[in-house]
Amino acid sequence: MFQVLLTGLATGAIYGLIAMAYAVVFYVTRVINFATGQLFMACIMITMAVANAGFSIWLAILAGFATSSIGGVVVYFIAVRPVLRFDRFSFAWLVSTLGVGIILESLAALKWGTSSLPFPNMMNGKDVAIFNAKLTWQQIVTIIVAVAVVGLFELLRRKTLFGKIGMAISSDPDIASSMGANVTRYTIFAFALGGLLAAIAGVLVGPFSFASPYLGESFGISGFVALMIGGIERPAAAMGGGMILGVLTVLANTYINSQASDWFPFVVVVIVLLISPNGVFMAGPSLKKATRRLRTASSKVAR
Amino acid sequence: MTTLTRRSRVRTSTYGVGAVAYLLATVFLAHSSNYNQGLLLVAAVFSILALSLDLVAGMLGLYSLGQAGLFAIGAYSTTILVTRDHWNVFLALPVVIVVGALLGIIIGALALRVSGLYFAITTYVFTLIVGVAVSDASITGGYQGLAGPTFPNFPHVLSGMGTALVWAISGALLITVVIIWSIRSSAVYPVLLAIRDAEPFAASAGVKTSFTRVMMFSLSSALAGLAGWTFCFLGYITPGQFNGTATINILVMVILGGMNTRLGPIVGAVFISLFPVVVSWNPLWQEVLFGAIFIIVIVFFPEGVVGVVSRITRLVRRRFQGESLETDGDLVPTAPTSIRTPITSTAEFALAARNITFHYLHGVPVLENIDFLVRPGTIHGLIGPNGSGKSTMVNLICGQLTPTEGMIELQGERVDHLSAYQRPAMGLMRTFQTAVMVREISTRDNVTIGLFHQFQRLLSRSLLWPLLPSGRRDTRAMHQLATSALNDVGLDSQWDATRVADIPHGVEQLTQLAAACVGRPSVLVLDEPLAGLSLGEIDEVATILRRLRDQGVTTIVVEHQTRFIFDVCDDVTVLAAGQLIRTGSAADVRVDERVREVYLGQ
Repeated sequence: MFQVLLTGLATGAIYGLIAMAYAVVFYVTRVINFATGQLFMACIMITMAVANAGFSIWLAILAGFATSSIGGVVVYFIAVRPVLRFDRFSFAWLVSTLGVGIILESLAALKWGTSSLPFPNMMNGKDVAIFNAKLTWQQIVTIIVAVAVVGLFELLRRKTLFGKIGMAISSDPDIASSMGANVTRYTIFAFALGGLLAAIAGVLVGPFSFASPYLGESFGISGFVALMIGGIERPAAAMGGGMILGVLTVLANTYINSQASDWFPFVVVVIVLLISPNGVFMAGPSLKKATRRLRTASSKVAR
Repeated sequence: MTTLTRRSRVRTSTYGVGAVAYLLATVFLAHSSNYNQGLLLVAAVFSILALSLDLVAGMLGLYSLGQAGLFAIGAYSTTILVTRDHWNVFLALPVVIVVGALLGIIIGALALRVSGLYFAITTYVFTLIVGVAVSDASITGGYQGLAGPTFPNFPHVLSGMGTALVWAISGALLITVVIIWSIRSSAVYPVLLAIRDAEPFAASAGVKTSFTRVMMFSLSSALAGLAGWTFCFLGYITPGQFNGTATINILVMVILGGMNTRLGPIVGAVFISLFPVVVSWNPLWQEVLFGAIFIIVIVFFPEGVVGVVSRITRLVRRRFQGESLETDGDLVPTAPTSIRTPITSTAEFALAARNITFHYLHGVPVLENIDFLVRPGTIHGLIGPNGSGKSTMVNLICGQLTPTEGMIELQGERVDHLSAYQRPAMGLMRTFQTAVMVREISTRDNVTIGLFHQFQRLLSRSLLWPLLPSGRRDTRAMHQLATSALNDVGLDSQWDATRVADIPHGVEQLTQLAAACVGRPSVLVLDEPLAGLSLGEIDEVATILRRLRDQGVTTIVVEHQTRFIFDVCDDVTVLAAGQLIRTGSAADVRVDERVREVYLGQ
């Protein structure tokens, strides 16, 4: 059980990082960047390619991070900035960001072929025993990095002026910009940070997943599901959603069958969407609202 | 008049020519090669899907990403029923349509609770779930998919008609087009746009907005199921055809062709489905180009092909012919068939607020123990400083909010438990502080929305509207009533056909007033009707209110301009900080010490 929990957290940390990549962009811009999965994949492919070309693995990782961050900004300038001008098509970014995703995936398939390629190993594959559970160093690092990322992000958001301006933009960009906040700069930063978070997830999962152009779609969907479970409004909640999804997926795999991880996340997300549309961490208010509605209804009947 | 009849004649004959051309095309295709048939039938199936999406996305602003999932359910269930259970293909059709409609109701009811984005996400998750289910289940053949059933041929006597499947799919597309184009030309069309752009306005005109949304999505789902039924006869069905990208593809078809246009979804569907065949490159490069089309369409042609073309023709026509107004020629009054008669009441008070207290979920009371009575056939002013709770009071009267305590009686009947949309039928209409109407249609069409509660079975009749005599009669009646309502508020007929997007603010306010008056309410609630009006227009409104009073209408006016209030109103109620300061005749209130203190500033 403890083993399942830890493995689940390690898997969930990856989903959580991708979910956070979506959430950070959404937090500032109210846009869901559907190319996030492909930015994640781009980091894996670039890191793999640079490392295979004989450079140091750290340099390769840096190149991967840079690619995805810049990629995020490019998504903004190509697919998001132009469409936000036509506010009637308020969800137009859905189509255009997906378009970027399709292009990235197909270009990667053209360059590196459609099959999986090995990803360079950063750490030895030895297991570490924690009580009665065994984890690889890679998994432990993954969990630590995910927790650190959430912590740093929350610190940045709550304690620094930069973060507070970000919060102001999140709640009302028009008022924030009339107070002198440079909304465009924050938006660019958010897209770059989204790319970086996806890239971190990519480097952490690469040794397990290998490198394939189609990783973007599957991990992109899992990250999206994690985002829905955690709630789209707050990036830290997205990480929580990832962790929950990871643990539940591993549980389903262990106790139902090996195919269960295909469909189980969707069952979870449907339940979450039905009960608390804004994610599990917002369940409190929405339950309160529901009970209040029930109470007023019953009191009306009583009257 | 002559331009009108000519135009409507031209329109009728255009449809006639279109129908004959469609029939000829079907005959031709039914005798064409298998290759051509396959190509065009796929395009037809996607046209049905794109039309079904445009019904909700274009008219209601509901970006459904569930179309691929519903499409898959239609295709898979037909295949399984026909090949495994040996059902007749035509027996499977109603089953598929009903299943689609029911799923639409369920998904719609669940997904429409929060925001539009939530609807898109929930329906997207639905498509993903269907995708996973058909990939994993053995009954659906897993990733390999299933071979679709063969469509029965015509009996020998009719074999001259060619391939039966062509006729079936052509018929399915025709039914879809008839239904959707009927809705577009029906009286419900402005109402749907109002639900999209101006929901409070629609609800205050008596439209059950949530119900209408769910029903329209149900219709859209049933059509997607129909598309699935036709699709499975075209060959193999595999999970890859119904995944998340497929569902976005359908949205791209609609946007590329032109959202909320008659032909747009069809143009987009034909282009996108023929595209891979015409451009036969390396499939990966084709994908790259496809992604690029997504972006280019959204960034450069958000109106779509048809939208751009119609804008250009509008410009050209304006330049060369000048503005030609489209009005109903025959002004002989026609009696609408199904209009409800206005309610007359003998209640002592037109409206009574008794001990009203209201507070939001968390927080201090916005209104406390408010008690006032409105005499029938009077103009009643509701005044108070900013934040005194006037607008909250109006929202309680009209049903946008429900009082925490106390009750509201309209013509002697308790209404505080009724929803906003139920009150217009009881004779209550309202306007809003800032007029929010549908900008892309004419003032006259906006005013017809105010008639919604007076005509019966509009939603079900809209499916075949122009084909029904009652539909044509009601359209004429609505246009006449709307035109005369616009005249009554002092707008001459030059404004009738102007889009709301193109009219000045004052005219917009008056149009809103016309939309509230057109349904002949017995109680009219006006929330700051003078905001932004010029002095001349203010006099105009005063005249209108007095005229309405002469006709027996009770009016409640929320206003800041005290001169107007004390000039026009018979009775006045004064609120301040959620408390009732004074209610009584205008003359009494005017000299009241406390009123002078809190409001008149003396």
